[in-house]
Amino acid sequence: MTLVKQAYLLLCKDLLLEMRRRDSLLTMFFFGTLLLFVFHFAFDMPPDKVAELAPALLWLAFLFTGTLGLAQLFQAERDNHCLDALLLSPLDRGALFLAKTGFNLMLMLAVEVVVIPLFWILFNLSGWNLLPQLFLVTLLGTVGFCVLGTITAAITLRARARELLLPLVLFPLMIPVILATIRCMETVLKTGSFGDATPWLRLLLGFDVIFLTIGVLIFDWVIES
Amino acid sequence: MRLIVNQLAKAYGYLWALRHIDLAIAPGEFVALLGPNGAGKTTLLKLLAGLIAPTTGAIELDGRPLTANASTVRGQIGLLAPAEHLYDQLTVLENLRFFTGLYNKYGSASALQTALEEVGLAGRAQEYAGNLSAGMKCRLSIAKWRLLDPGLLLLDEPYGVLDGNGVDLLETFLRAHCAKGHIVIMASHHVARALNLCGRALILHQGRLHFDEPKQTPWPAFDRAFGDFLPRGGL
Repeated sequence: MTLVKQAYLLLCKDLLLEMRRRDSLLTMFFFGTLLLFVFHFAFDMPPDKVAELAPALLWLAFLFTGTLGLAQLFQAERDNHCLDALLLSPLDRGALFLAKTGFNLMLMLAVEVVVIPLFWILFNLSGWNLLPQLFLVTLLGTVGFCVLGTITAAITLRARARELLLPLVLFPLMIPVILATIRCMETVLKTGSFGDATPWLRLLLGFDVIFLTIGVLIFDWVIES
Repeated sequence: MRLIVNQLAKAYGYLWALRHIDLAIAPGEFVALLGPNGAGKTTLLKLLAGLIAPTTGAIELDGRPLTANASTVRGQIGLLAPAEHLYDQLTVLENLRFFTGLYNKYGSASALQTALEEVGLAGRAQEYAGNLSAGMKCRLSIAKWRLLDPGLLLLDEPYGVLDGNGVDLLETFLRAHCAKGHIVIMASHHVARALNLCGRALILHQGRLHFDEPKQTPWPAFDRAFGDFLPRGGL
């Protein structure tokens, strides 16, 4: 059985469980929306500062929201020792990594599709035509977040204070992704195109590919240690 | 399937949970794993299942070492832990479909239905596993391992949750499993039942193997060894 086939089977299982429980998606969605409202009341964003402040605020919301989702990522496997059942099977651990990353990515994208336009409305931003470019940057940043997030969620899986430990391990590792994503978004908002941000885009793409490959290769060690 | 365990030991920090375990188990053997609480039975089962790594020593299945990456070897091992290893939010049928898929042993709808009928769960195929009692979950696990048919089946205290009918069902399954040449190792505190089924008994005490003999009738050596470590309640 191929890696992709196994990953697909696990992903279908996770999606089915999420459709029935709905706890991760609903929690993330409401938390993300709540954060936007808090930012809206807390910050008075002058038009000339939009390009500098908006990406950072948006990514703060994504980071916190995504961390909530990551904390729940292996919940189904913790119940009834189902992780043992998976580790006992001939499953390629790389498939488990791909499935969990894919599942987390789907949750994050579902939240972002709602949160980004809402952010635009709440902060009364212009430039709706820039949304496709911003979505592309967000997608690359989100892939990086999900890849690293899945690895760190697996590392902290058996830790007693895993909910506290997860952001402490994840956020420093996320610095290149956050930096590149914010710089890209800032350039798009300022100039209307990627222009000078192309190196940051390449960095994001490279980061995603490298850590996705590393994740597949080391996940057996991560999950079994 | 032949199982060889060589100088197996497991330490948790400074505490040795298991030490100097040597075993050679032939195809078709049913082994009862006995011992008081904390003797190391569950640790030994987890080591044999590959769920934890030994501190020292080696385990071989048919001459192949049980290492973390040996997915083909792992596919030959089953662990029946009552009321565990099932997804509560999947239905009974979905659990069977998922796990047979994971082992690449996709069963037809009729095969899955037959497996459920054999364990008395045919009428509950569409119910969530989380709604089942512990005994029913154990029956579902029996159906799962019947379909997956592992060469080495490990059981951790399976009797606690089963009713009389369930016990008969489990024992019939285990006898049939051994008859195919597969190995069964069962850890249990129900000594009389375990002895009735087994062809060999192991007694662990404080992480060491204190007794390992094929079954005899009568069995004075077992009685002596058993009396040293355990109360007689089960016999």
